[in-house]
Amino acid sequence: MDEWKPNPAVKPHKKRSWYLAWKYKLMNQRALRKLCQTGAVLFLLVTVIVNIKLILDTRKAAYEEEEESAQDYDDEMLNVEVPRHPVNNKKVLDVEVYSSRSKVYVAVDGTTVLEDEAREQGRGIHVIVLNQATGHVMAKRVFDTYSPHEDEAMVLFLNMVARGRILIFTIKDEGSFHLKETAKNVLKSLGSQVAPFLSWRDMWTFVGKKGGEVYGEKHAKSPALSTWGDPVLLKTEVHLTSVEDAECHWPDTELNRRRKRFCSKVEGYGSVCSCKDPTPIEFNPDPLKDNKVFDVPVAVIAGNRPNYLYRMLRSLLSAQGVNPQMITVFIDGYYEEPMDVVELFGLSGIQHTPISIKNARVSQHYKASLTATFNLFPDAKFAVVLEEDLDISVDFFSFLSQSIHLLEEDESLYCISAWNDQGYEHTAEDPSLLYRVETMPGLGWVLRKSLYKDELEPKWPTPEKLWDWDMWMRMPEQRKGRECIIPDISRSYHFGIVGLNMNGYFHEAYFKKHKFNTVPSVQLKNVESLRKDNYETEIHRLLGEAEVLDHSKNPCEDSFVPDTEGRVYVMFIRMEQEADFTTWTQLAKCLHIWDLDVRGNHKGLWRLFRKKNHFLVVGVPASPYSSKKPSSVTPIYMEPPAKEEGAVAVPAVAAAEQT
Amino acid sequence: MQKINRNVVLALLSLTSLVFLLFQLCYYKFYLSQKNGAAFSKVRGSQSGQDSTQWHVVRKFLGLISSHNIPVYLIDPLILGLVDKDIEQIRSSPDGPSPECKYFCSPRDFTTFALLDKTWKHEVGLFRTAEKMGFQWLKIINKDPRLDGMDDLSGMEIPLHYIFKLASHAIHLVVFYERSGNFLWHGPLRLKQHMDRKFVPFRKLHFGRYPGAYEKPELLLVSIDDLKVRIPKNPSSFLEEMSHSRFLECRYREARAFFQLYPDDASLDAVEFRKKAKSLLHLAALTLNNLGVKFWLSSGTCLGWYRQCNIIPHSKDVDLGIFIRDYKADIIPAFQKAGLPLKHKFGKVEDSLELSFQGEDDVKLDIFFFYEEGDHIWNGGTQAKSGKKFKYLFPKFTLCWTEFVELKVHVPCETLQYVEANYGPEWKVPVKTWDWKSSPSNVQDNGVWPVDEWDDVIQIY
Repeated sequence: MDEWKPNPAVKPHKKRSWYLAWKYKLMNQRALRKLCQTGAVLFLLVTVIVNIKLILDTRKAAYEEEEESAQDYDDEMLNVEVPRHPVNNKKVLDVEVYSSRSKVYVAVDGTTVLEDEAREQGRGIHVIVLNQATGHVMAKRVFDTYSPHEDEAMVLFLNMVARGRILIFTIKDEGSFHLKETAKNVLKSLGSQVAPFLSWRDMWTFVGKKGGEVYGEKHAKSPALSTWGDPVLLKTEVHLTSVEDAECHWPDTELNRRRKRFCSKVEGYGSVCSCKDPTPIEFNPDPLKDNKVFDVPVAVIAGNRPNYLYRMLRSLLSAQGVNPQMITVFIDGYYEEPMDVVELFGLSGIQHTPISIKNARVSQHYKASLTATFNLFPDAKFAVVLEEDLDISVDFFSFLSQSIHLLEEDESLYCISAWNDQGYEHTAEDPSLLYRVETMPGLGWVLRKSLYKDELEPKWPTPEKLWDWDMWMRMPEQRKGRECIIPDISRSYHFGIVGLNMNGYFHEAYFKKHKFNTVPSVQLKNVESLRKDNYETEIHRLLGEAEVLDHSKNPCEDSFVPDTEGRVYVMFIRMEQEADFTTWTQLAKCLHIWDLDVRGNHKGLWRLFRKKNHFLVVGVPASPYSSKKPSSVTPIYMEPPAKEEGAVAVPAVAAAEQT
Repeated sequence: MQKINRNVVLALLSLTSLVFLLFQLCYYKFYLSQKNGAAFSKVRGSQSGQDSTQWHVVRKFLGLISSHNIPVYLIDPLILGLVDKDIEQIRSSPDGPSPECKYFCSPRDFTTFALLDKTWKHEVGLFRTAEKMGFQWLKIINKDPRLDGMDDLSGMEIPLHYIFKLASHAIHLVVFYERSGNFLWHGPLRLKQHMDRKFVPFRKLHFGRYPGAYEKPELLLVSIDDLKVRIPKNPSSFLEEMSHSRFLECRYREARAFFQLYPDDASLDAVEFRKKAKSLLHLAALTLNNLGVKFWLSSGTCLGWYRQCNIIPHSKDVDLGIFIRDYKADIIPAFQKAGLPLKHKFGKVEDSLELSFQGEDDVKLDIFFFYEEGDHIWNGGTQAKSGKKFKYLFPKFTLCWTEFVELKVHVPCETLQYVEANYGPEWKVPVKTWDWKSSPSNVQDNGVWPVDEWDDVIQIY
């Protein structure tokens, strides 16, 4: 507008009469008129500016008011929402699969989802399951089919995978030695041309859809027994389907919404994700009458073994008297899959950033979990501590409900444990019987808050100590002569084979034959007799009625105990002082019970069952019950086999760290 | 250049100006109406009557929660204030029909209820039903403070507040959590970025500006305005508690950073001292609470809380502060009865009073009495052998609740100023040698006790 200047010299062409008159009238007042015009223009400009400013001002004021009205309540930590990568709208995935002697990898759309080049590890067939709609990795497994039985596990797994999922296979090192016909047929049915002919040290990659098309397969034959096939690299494309096609159509309930979330993320949990007739995820076991442990928090200590956790939580949530609201699962590390399992069951889970290594890490995880449990449930006097590789007996809470008052009232108790170290199929008999033992078995136990807060927590081993929490808890400085109450037949079952100090052989030898109670609502017998003084009376009564066995026979022989039922027998072994377990260890070995360290003793006395008879073992002269030994009886002494001593000592140390 | 008729241009400009003026008018009108809308109470306040929206919304809400078996109780300060005036009558006739709508019809924007977290299961069904009944709802979640103190634990976020809105009234449901120290805690209300800031006038909420700490209330089922609700048994003491309920969380993150710099003393001595100091503090808290004497963590104990969320293992005693106006003569006998003999007493009630009790094995409980004077607060110190008096000055402060070693205790809300006054700007650095007469940065000489008063003001046992 500034460019415009009034130009008086220019005469307007079209003029109305009134305007003309007005113009002529003012002709001789040109200067004045010009001034007026400029004034008017300026005035208008000013009006415009003022108007704009006013609008801006009111706007700002209004905005400020809004801001102010809520600013006290703004979250200080501005959650900067990271823009999520839009879910792959692309309909095609590029998949790369590599198989060789020392390295395998799988890349999906350029992202490596599997890479294993560690030495002496990861041998066998690696399997990856992708979601056919999103391309997300739903499961990752490796089956060492060089070793026996692993192919069976693979078949089991492949059968569990839902139809339509994308399966990726690749072999590292060797995967055919124990790959049996059944497994080969399953692979063939998935569309593999090569699988039936896979042989020693062949390299192989395969991508296909379960029950559908094959996206690619590559194979390199091993030219000779001593060499491996050439590395193979398979590059292929996978077409994605729509999300609707990848999901089941369960009725829309809260439970099924959880199920859907779970099943679209992970694979390998079998019927829980089956479209037709899925297995329930809510169990509603019978409530317990007069449940004393309904308000006791339950801490489940977990690592990254989601399949174990799944099995464990199923059994826990099926136990009578369980209160899911009191359960917290503590996951050691930021693992997604265990958290998915926790959410599937609608429980609360807490993740724990790992602070230390190996044993010390487990120990720190325990500490954090216990502290958090008592923080979350400040009213609780106890906490139940469970691990992810335990089955929980149907009467677990009933057992605790009947015995927990002892832990509250009897200062000489350290814990109540659901596990009897010596409770094997052939040595445990009575589900209603309880013992007092000087060792702490763990594996499903109750911790008193005052013990934790006043004694254990303040001096819990620090991360650099690299101690096992349970070994530390068993040390005399901590235990201070207190005892634990255990059942004759365990209320938990240790099914974990993969663990920090665990392997298949070890599990087979020491855990598999463990007896596990499956009878619901067992009424415990004479719980009051477990109190400190009552228990002594009880033991003396037992020893009084016990028949002394024939000490001239070999106690390892079956005939050592007569073929009777329901009798009480006693035998005496040599035990020079409190820590002399030479004979006991030999006896335990030949009875095929826990012999790696001493468990289950009470003042030099062990209680177990043989041939359905109660069988007492008294260590003489260290045990105060030695006085019950008839003078005619010479305590049995069993010498450790001299040669094997060294060999025994090594696993004993390794296994002592064990449970 | 085209010939432009300047008069046409002028006319155009005038027109624009007119349009602007009109626009301005409209805008102003719009702005005004909006402002009124935001403060809808002003409009509604005038038309409160029997057929009150508030009453209907509350009735609907109570129906909703009772259909889901969720035990809520009323904590609305406005209503409880009214209820408190008639409490005797309400208690005596719990079922009588009320002639007029006295309580729930009073004009207000919100009705506030409380919910104990552990008494319900977070069923999603509640919100479905609420939506069907026409409620709009908002859930405010945040981190779980009970896990905040823990190294590297990350749990799920927990719900702290719910707001149910229907028509022009809203129900504010505050979720209370049990904390170590046997008390209830509610969280602050903080809106996340994506949340609707205008859902309700958040500023007018009675709960949520700060987190709060409360005793577990005893409840009473009453019928008021023909609605059955549970209320705190003693509304006036609840309201009194509410006015001083502000809670401060310990600064766990800073404490962790502190321990990174100065690793914690894990020796057996330190463990033992902490255990003793903790039980001494528990005993002292029990004794003083029974007497109804308000106290707070002072000096080294306060520093320990503020700096490391724990007892400082080399501090050797437990320090508490009490306002002199709260002094009671029974304090000394009460402690003696609790098994803590008086070790020394310096000063007198009028000036520089300080009590010291002997706890178990050399752990000492020091109680300093604080005097208000002008714009500051001070406590006194006395040197036994010389009779010298000292004065420690603090800026004025108010008291907040906190959780410390499984105890609900007071600390100065303005903790930083308090600690800085006492320990100077270098308070973050641990000092093992500390002289109470010279080390504090707020110490002043305050003359000498007259010799004839010594027997009274310097008593050592």
